Amino acid sequence: MKNTTAYFASVVSKIQKQHIQFVLLVLVVLMLVLGAGAPVDGGGIGH
Amino acid sequence: MILSVAVIAGILSGFLVARWKKEPWQPPALRHAWLVVVFFLPQLLAFYLPATRNLFSAPLAAASLVISQLGLLAFCILNWRLAGMPILAIGLLLNLAVILANGGLMPVSPDAVARLVSPEVLARLQVGERLGTSKDILLAPDAIIFPWLADRFAPPDWIPYRFAFSVGDILIGLGAFILLAFPAGKAASIKKGNLSYVNQPNF
Repeated sequence: MKNTTAYFASVVSKIQKQHIQFVLLVLVVLMLVLGAGAPVDGGGIGH
Repeated sequence: MILSVAVIAGILSGFLVARWKKEPWQPPALRHAWLVVVFFLPQLLAFYLPATRNLFSAPLAAASLVISQLGLLAFCILNWRLAGMPILAIGLLLNLAVILANGGLMPVSPDAVARLVSPEVLARLQVGERLGTSKDILLAPDAIIFPWLADRFAPPDWIPYRFAFSVGDILIGLGAFILLAFPAGKAASIKKGNLSYVNQPNF
């Protein structure tokens, strides 16, 4: 029982870490792309 | 915001390619990712956050943009070996070149803006002024240095979302797509007898 719980906790913590890393990666690439690019849309003009 | 489409498309393609190869998707092994966070911050404040972007004058916004893009360029150089990164870096360099040559903001001509806004809005704009809280400045066509690098392209008419973009933006979108869809490097390596993934982002 103790081993099962430890294994479950290990799996959950691994999944959470991978999810967090994925979210961080997406955020970093988004920031890189938004910061590097300079397109302009009509929404922000004239306001 | 249109460039975020390239990021989403790259991730979806990356998952599809990985599924086709029957391998887990491996994220690109970004190094010094903290540089992106730090150097995006000036742009976040100057162009994106509604609470702060109105506080930035045009010269301050221009300085924020140039400093930010220089830092992001350094990040690209440090990650040059990743697939897609050279294309992204060249796109950034082209944008930075035209921005620097034209006083710190991305130039856009009245002709290009006319494809984005109504004639009434266009009539209210003045040449030489920053366009709202964007990264762009309205300049007469003959006053733009490196006009072929400016925001001068528009999507086809059948796309309802209207925007203008540059050659650099195209390369940035393409580079980001390749970075995420076809991340380079071995999927896994065996270290000391254990299978361990090497493509983990380094924050």
